[in-house]
Formats: sequence, C-alpha cells, structure tokens
Amino acid sequence: MLALDNVKVLDLSQIMAGPYCTMVLSDMGAEVTKIESFPNGDNSRGMSPIVNGQSYCFAMINRNKKSVALNLKSEAGIEVFRKLAIESDIIVENFRPGVTKKLGIDYDSMKRLNPGVIYSSISGFGQTGPYKNKGGLDIIAQGVSGLMSMTGEPDGRPAKVGVAINDIAAGATALYAILGAYIHKLKTGEGQYIDTSLVDAGLAWTIWESGAYFGSGEVPTQNGTRHRRSAPYQAYRTKDGYITVGTFNSRLWERFCYHVVQRPDWLNNDLYADKQARLTNVDILEREIEDIFMQEKTNYWIDKLDQAGVPGGPVNTYDQALSDPQILEREMVVEMEHPILGKINSLGIPTKLSKTPLSIRDPAPWLGQHSTERLLEIGLTDEQINRLYEDKILFNEHPSKAKTN
Amino acid sequence: MNISSLEGIRIIDLTRILSGPYCTMTLADFGAEVIKVEAPSGDDTRNWGPPFVGTESSYFLSVNRNKKSIVIDLKKKEGKDILLKLVEGADVVVENFRPGTLQRLGIGYNILKETNPQIILSSISGFGQDGPYASKPGYDVIAQGMGGLTYVTGEPNQAPVKAGFSIADIGTGMWAVIGILNAIVARTMTGKGQWVDCSLIDTMISWQTYLAGNFFGSGENPKPQGGAHPNIVPYQLFDSSDGYFNIAVGNEKLWKRFCHTLNESELIDHPKYAKNSDRVQNRKQLVGYLQTIFKSKTAKEWVDIFEKAGIPCGPVLNFDEIYTDQHVLAREQLIEMEHPSAGKIKMTGIPIKLSDTPGSVKTPPPLLGQHTKEILKKINNLNEDQIVNLEKSGVIKCSPLTSDLAN
Repeated sequence: MLALDNVKVLDLSQIMAGPYCTMVLSDMGAEVTKIESFPNGDNSRGMSPIVNGQSYCFAMINRNKKSVALNLKSEAGIEVFRKLAIESDIIVENFRPGVTKKLGIDYDSMKRLNPGVIYSSISGFGQTGPYKNKGGLDIIAQGVSGLMSMTGEPDGRPAKVGVAINDIAAGATALYAILGAYIHKLKTGEGQYIDTSLVDAGLAWTIWESGAYFGSGEVPTQNGTRHRRSAPYQAYRTKDGYITVGTFNSRLWERFCYHVVQRPDWLNNDLYADKQARLTNVDILEREIEDIFMQEKTNYWIDKLDQAGVPGGPVNTYDQALSDPQILEREMVVEMEHPILGKINSLGIPTKLSKTPLSIRDPAPWLGQHSTERLLEIGLTDEQINRLYEDKILFNEHPSKAKTN
Repeated sequence: MNISSLEGIRIIDLTRILSGPYCTMTLADFGAEVIKVEAPSGDDTRNWGPPFVGTESSYFLSVNRNKKSIVIDLKKKEGKDILLKLVEGADVVVENFRPGTLQRLGIGYNILKETNPQIILSSISGFGQDGPYASKPGYDVIAQGMGGLTYVTGEPNQAPVKAGFSIADIGTGMWAVIGILNAIVARTMTGKGQWVDCSLIDTMISWQTYLAGNFFGSGENPKPQGGAHPNIVPYQLFDSSDGYFNIAVGNEKLWKRFCHTLNESELIDHPKYAKNSDRVQNRKQLVGYLQTIFKSKTAKEWVDIFEKAGIPCGPVLNFDEIYTDQHVLAREQLIEMEHPSAGKIKMTGIPIKLSDTPGSVKTPPPLLGQHTKEILKKINNLNEDQIVNLEKSGVIKCSPLTSDLAN
C-alpha cells in the first residue's frame, strides 16, 4: 500500500522545482498526469545527455508520471484540461505569476469546478511582493537569497551551490505544504491555495547563519569548507584527494591529536588551546594538518579516523559516491528499464518508511505517452480523441508505441 | 480563525542540534504540539555562542520556536517511565541519535510500538539505520563531501568548497517532515504507525538529480563550475565595476534580446555563439568577452538594464541587504517576537504560504525546562509533590522561570 494511492495530481510544471515536487508525490503513490506543450514538451527534455532521442536529465525527475501533450492555447485544449482538473486532488504549476490566470486555469477558476482542489504554485519570487513578476531561475534565487554570498573560497568569487538548490528547496517546501493541506483535506474536504517561492525556500534554509545575523549582525561570507563555529571541521587535502574531519568538541579534538595526526603536543599549544583559539588560528592549523595528511592517501586517513572514533569521510566524486557500498545498500541507485533509453539508473528514495515506503514503479514517459489513455479514462471517446490529434490539440511523440504500458 | 493542518498532532522531540530541530520546528509551525525533551544539560546548541542573546544562543533561538521544553534524564529509570507515558498519548517521536542509541536507552522502536501502536518514529542519522556505515558518526560537512556536493561546488580547478550553510542537516530534516506527513496520511487508512528512516548522506545523493543524469548518461564526473551552469551559457555570475550579479540566458529568444540589449547584435548569428551548444563549446571566449563589457557599469546598473529588457537577472545579496529588502519584508520572511530573557528577537519567516491553513509563529524558543511542570501535570497527571521529588532526585529539571511564564 502507498500512502497516496488513489490521489490524482495534475502537473503543469516543468524543468525542476515543480517536477521534483510531483516526482515525490508520484513516489508516494499519487497518479501524476503531466501536461506538456508540444512538439518540444517540458524544456528539460532538451537537456543533454540525449540517448536515443530522450534526455537522461528529464528521466531523472519524471519517473512514475504520465504524460499528456495538450495545446493549452486552444479552447478545446483548455476544455480537456478542465475535465482533468475536475477529478484531480492536487494541481501543481510553476509558471510566472499571472500566466495561469491568462490561460483561465488559475486557482479561482479551478476552485469553481472543484472546490476541494489543492492548488500549488511555485515561482521565483512568490505571488506577492514587489518582485513577483521578475523571472526567478535557480541561479538568480541563489544570488538573491544569500546562498552565493556565503559559498566559495574565503575572499574569492561567490560560488553557487553545485546543484540547483533553490529549485529543490522550493519543490520540497511545496511538497510538505501539499501533504499538510492534504491532511487538512482528509479531515474537512477543503482544498486551498499554496504559494512557494525559490527565494523564500532558499532563505529559510540559512537557519543558523540567519540566527547569527539576527543575534549579532554577523554577515556570513564565503568560508570554503570550513565551519563558522568549530575547528578543525572542514576538508583537507591528502596525497590523492580530500578528506573531511568534524571535531566539534574537545573530546574529539583530543582523540584527533592523539590517534589521527599523532601530535599530542598540539594539546599544549596556546594557538589551539580551545575552540575559539583554533578558529582564530584556523589557517595555521589547516597548514599543519595538511602537511601531515598530504603524506598518505585518503583511505589511510579514513581508517585512522574510524579507529579513533573521530567523524570524517572522503570528498567523493560522483562515480565514487554512486558506487559506494553504503549508498548501494541504502538503495540510493535504482536500475530500471526505459522503453526508449533502455536500462537507466535513477536516484533512490531518501526517506525510508517501514509500512508505506515510497516506490519507483515506472520510467519517465515520452512526450504524450499517455495522451490517449488518460483522455479515455475521463470519458472521451476514441472518435473525440482522434479529432483532437487531427486538430493539433493533442500529441503523442511515438504513436506507434502507443498501446504499450 | 486560522486552522492548522497539524492541529491535535503531538510530537515528542528527542532531537538536538539542527537536522531534527529543523524538522520539528516545521511541524510546530504548522500547528503540531512539539514537546522537546532535553537532557539536564540541554540541547548542545544552547551553549553554542557567541552570539548570545540574553541567556540564549542565536543558534538555539533560530530553530526551536513554537516548542515546549521538558527536561528528563533518560538514563534514569524514572526518566524513561516518564517518557513512555508521554509516548502513550503522542502521535510522533523524532530522534537524531546515532543508530542503536535508542535501543540502548531501552526506548527502541519495538518498545515505542508496544507502548503505542499508532506511534510514528522518525529517525535521522548520518548514514541511516542500516548499511556498512550505519554506526559511523555523520555530520553535515562529511555528508556534503561523501554525497558528491562538495566536489561539484566551488571554482573550476581549485579546492572544492561546501555549500556555505548546513544543507545536509536541513535537507534531511525536511525529508523527515515529508516522511512523517506521509506516515500520518497512511495512518488514517491503516490505524497504525511506522518507522521513518532518513540520513544525511541519502539526502545529498537524492539532490544530485540532473548532475546524476549527466553522470549516468555520459559516465563523466561533473566538475565544479563556480558560478556557472554546466549546460547553459551564459547562465552565471559576472563581475561588474563594483560587485557581482547573475544573469540567466536560458533560450535562443533571450540570447537575441541579450545581444541587442548590449548593442552586440553581431554576436547573435556569430558561428561560434549562435546556438546554446556553440556557446557551451566556446564558453571561455564568450564569457571573457562579456566580462570585459560588464566591468564598465555597476551591478545595479546592469540588473536594471537587463530587467527592463526582460532578461532574468539578479544581484548577489548579503544578509544586510536581504533582511532590509522590500520584497523579503513584503513576503514576511523576517519575523520579530518577544522572548522572556532575550527581549525582542528576530527570526526567519515561514517559507510557504497556505491560503487556509497557513503556518504561524506563536511562541518563542523555550527556556530549558520551561514547560516541565506544565507537561508533567497535564499529561502525566503528576502532582506538585511528585514533581518536586523527581527534581530532587535529578530525574527532571524545571526552569526557574518555569510555567508561570507558560500559563
């Protein structure tokens, strides 16, 4: 049993923030119908690497979903959309504010058709406030929400977090709000409107840095891999790569000195007398530690750290991370068969539930794979559906494979 | 008037530091009653200062609003009994000890389930409850490193850097929220609770998304890009005459508009830059050329120019600028409230707006043991004498200010 069995989601979103949100809803068992424009569909279908004409990137976050390719700029297309909306529990969109209203499929219009619907909008800056109409992509939001100004080498250029973190933050934030709203709907039958922005969601994750700013006015700046309150707590260079070490109390610091770097004399060195002193002298400490770490390879030091009970680990490249025995045993890499791409890997589920675990059932759909199937389900006849195809209201990228799945 | 979606849900919160407290704060914002169970020494972060505001550290204040604090020594049998009594009437238990600790304390999942078959246990750890590294300690910087995030963050050909905030901790707290809400939905059908297991390392892996797609599809390890995008050009950070700004030219229509705006129309159909794939290939040359142009004006001037042209762009702000920004304030991302010892404190707002069951911040982060007495009286039905005796024997602790404040 899946927690969202029988829940229907109508998904107007594309690229990242919205699709990430609806992917997890589909992992939870919801039937997600992805509405796409054609002939190109979701913008991320064009992102390389392209294998057999299908984007691997698109496949990563659109598993378990159904694709209906529908022309929303036509009255007949909107009519089909309304029919799908009437039987949906949840609608997700990530257009710029105002677009759904222009199309006549905004929350107020949908609520009239389906009073219990939960309608979730994701945008760069939110549905309100002076910047609501600005275009807000991940990198813009990383800059505006302060994440870039606190990421990178000290005194270097601001760097962005290496994954699309504001997109993901917004998708995950929308997701928990949708689940909260669904719990409310189970009790009352009522739907509601949910407004998430990339900037708000990213800012909300800077919790400690914001706390320090509110407490003392401290403006966080780039800090490499260092911790703002503890040392040594960062990555160090080894003979063949980098390793992280996390000693956040004096007990771990002592163990580190005795058993890892074998420099008990550091415990009597005034430069490192306490956490504050180690933070003040973090550059000297880094040089001293790296001088030692550079003499052996990463694996050697990991064993040392493990034996000493000091937290630490390698700085993995993707091939290392994705073949690590822990990652594999936790089923974080899942292999599946895609009808066009062939055998593909998908990332696994990071929250494990004992009774209603999330599940990966189907690969990402090709554009319009379920156009016919979903329209039949909402009561259209074969004849009506064929007319929609002829009138260029409906589309299926691979009609010859249509009946499969 | 406002209803909360988690009204009536009671959470017993055994977590400390960041990942767990972020999870339970989010649940508290949405109306759950969160009872934070602290050891007599309190959540470690209560001492993580400076900065301190009044008696409290900024770290603690930033992630514990809307909660109640009860102090129980779980290493004492009477303490364990008090806890199990609380679990009887609760919906969710959240913990972020190292795997195995709960069992050692005699309050493992099986015991909790026997006590209350409807209980949902959510465990947060560095590496998860199983697998070869389960018993290893896992902190934010370690998970960022092992999950591949550190490797893809920072300038090309330089030392890797981590995301400048505790993204693995917070992200895992978020996955725990999602798992718990899923379990609450499932319980309406099954009447039973379950165990939710999240780890910092799994969270980091789950967010590789497109980069993992690049890797699976091409076999190539993604590399750090500084402030740039691996697949789109120009989509990155640029330097101006006085600081940095971002620009995102995500499609060919925007590319044309971008070139016209810069009075560089000859770039539009230039064989080296006409299509995004050309621009990715000749990234270095193009970015170098653009960079010289951008040095001629201030960041604000460029942002104004590109905004007028309808090209996605934005400044790179620091906290002074963010928390005085008219949009951030209009979105209520800065909240102020009164704290009994710290006075007026500021905190981040609620990052999601719901029309009917919005989140809300009702009470400030609690003092250590502020609600011990109140909870023991109300939920455990203990009387004043019993509470005094428990406090004398060190099983519990009440804040000197205690429930006078709470009532």
